[in-house]
Amino acid sequence: MSAETVEVDARGLEPPQPLMRILEALAGLPDGAVLRARTDRRPMHLYPLLAERGFTAETQEQSDGSFLTLIRRA
Amino acid sequence: MGVGASGPATAFAPSVTVPLRFVVAGVLALPAAALLLVLRPDLLAAYHYNQYTVAATHLWVLGFLGSVAMGAMYQLVPVALETRLHSERLARWHFVLHLVGVAGMVWMFWRWDLKQVGHFGSALAAGVALFAYNLGRTLRTVPRWNVVASGIAAALGWLGLTVLAGLAIAAAKCSYDSLATLPPGHPLRPALLALQATATWLGRFDPLGVMHAHAHLGGVGFFVMLIMAVSFKLLPMFTLGELQNPRRAGAALGLLNLGLAGVGLTLFLRSRGQPLAGLVVLAGLALYGLEVRAILRARKRRRLDWALRYFLVALGLLAVVAPLGWVLGWPGLPATQLTTQLETVYGWLGLAGVVSLTVLGFLYKIVPFQVWYHSYARQVGRFRVPALADLYSERLLVAGLGLVLTGVLGAALGAALASELIVRAGALVLLAGLGVFLVNLGRMFRHFWRPRLEPLPGSALSSKPVGVDAEVKPA
Repeated sequence: MSAETVEVDARGLEPPQPLMRILEALAGLPDGAVLRARTDRRPMHLYPLLAERGFTAETQEQSDGSFLTLIRRA
Repeated sequence: MGVGASGPATAFAPSVTVPLRFVVAGVLALPAAALLLVLRPDLLAAYHYNQYTVAATHLWVLGFLGSVAMGAMYQLVPVALETRLHSERLARWHFVLHLVGVAGMVWMFWRWDLKQVGHFGSALAAGVALFAYNLGRTLRTVPRWNVVASGIAAALGWLGLTVLAGLAIAAAKCSYDSLATLPPGHPLRPALLALQATATWLGRFDPLGVMHAHAHLGGVGFFVMLIMAVSFKLLPMFTLGELQNPRRAGAALGLLNLGLAGVGLTLFLRSRGQPLAGLVVLAGLALYGLEVRAILRARKRRRLDWALRYFLVALGLLAVVAPLGWVLGWPGLPATQLTTQLETVYGWLGLAGVVSLTVLGFLYKIVPFQVWYHSYARQVGRFRVPALADLYSERLLVAGLGLVLTGVLGAALGAALASELIVRAGALVLLAGLGVFLVNLGRMFRHFWRPRLEPLPGSALSSKPVGVDAEVKPA
């Protein structure tokens, strides 16, 4: 059975709004769920905040130049 | 932290305190330099090669522009190029050397003690060496080399050359009488002999040409190069657009480098090839202007915020200043009061107009973000945090831009007319604009020292903020 996923599309937003959208979504992320965050840029400032909150992240560049970050509880 | 398919996600956001300490030093130096101009309007209204104008120029260029630019690079380069800073420790040492070097240099230029200028300049140079090494190592880890990284690497190279040229100029203005009294085996003897040889070699060239070359290597090679490179990243970021033509951007950067090498060499040698080299620079700047226009036309965010307008005003000034510089470089142009004062206008509009307006606009982007990140990023999702725009007043931003621009243009007019009265009036308006800017900056830093949070709906007031001493107020 695949894990529940929550989508956050933070493209088209100026910093720090993508970071805010993602962190706010994480606050309500169910246990075992994966958050799929789409951003225009690699979310460099997000990684330390995720680590501090006990999440892991994996970022992949997409063919359209945007980034997809998969975030789950460590 | 996991590893993504296209690169590691392990990079840490850099510390905000390293860039901010450079920024604070820079924004304190700026009003000091403007105040100096109010007190001594002859700095611009009279011929510029005198100890006081040289001291004030270094206060402005190294104290304000250099501090902010180098501090910002410590934050920007890793984030923009998706890597991490090689060493924050080296950056903190750089800050100490930079402060000591700049303060001592400005003081000793004012007293015209070139030997001490050389000593303090060496401290500054050691700091610049740490900076170049640190960013050079950082650039080596960039996962995808691009036009932004190329421009930053070029700017670092020109900065190194500028500092070396400046030290050589100081060495050329010193006498080495003590060599006669030093015993043959004295440890200082080789260093003094090297400095004396440098002075003898540089003495073959026209001193004015050498100083003009030094000024252009720094002004164009470091600052304009950096503005060009960084804007290829930041302009699309802030307008939600894309670099439109990477080849055109690369060509602009290449022509600026090529042209500057020519300008530097022809100034140094007082060669008649200067207009040709200048044309190459102008061609690079024209291509840059085309790319900026294309980025702006294709942007998704239609509204241009005021921080970006600072930058666009600066680019407008560049379109005036660059051709003026080209005309003033024409071989055989007579050195009249008008032409020498126009040289002052050129330098003033280039540094106080083009570069300073860009830096001030950029500060309205970097400082609120840095302060917000320090004070609020860890509270998102736990508390209601202010938006970036809530950290300062846009009305003050607009008023500050108007006053600074009016002051810079007024002082330029005063310089052109060799009028101390008009320079002083312009400097006063500029100082007022900087005062407004500092008030707005103070508003931002208030959030750094005392963040203000509100509880999220339904959450308890007793929740504790993470990592900051924040005031939590009911919504």
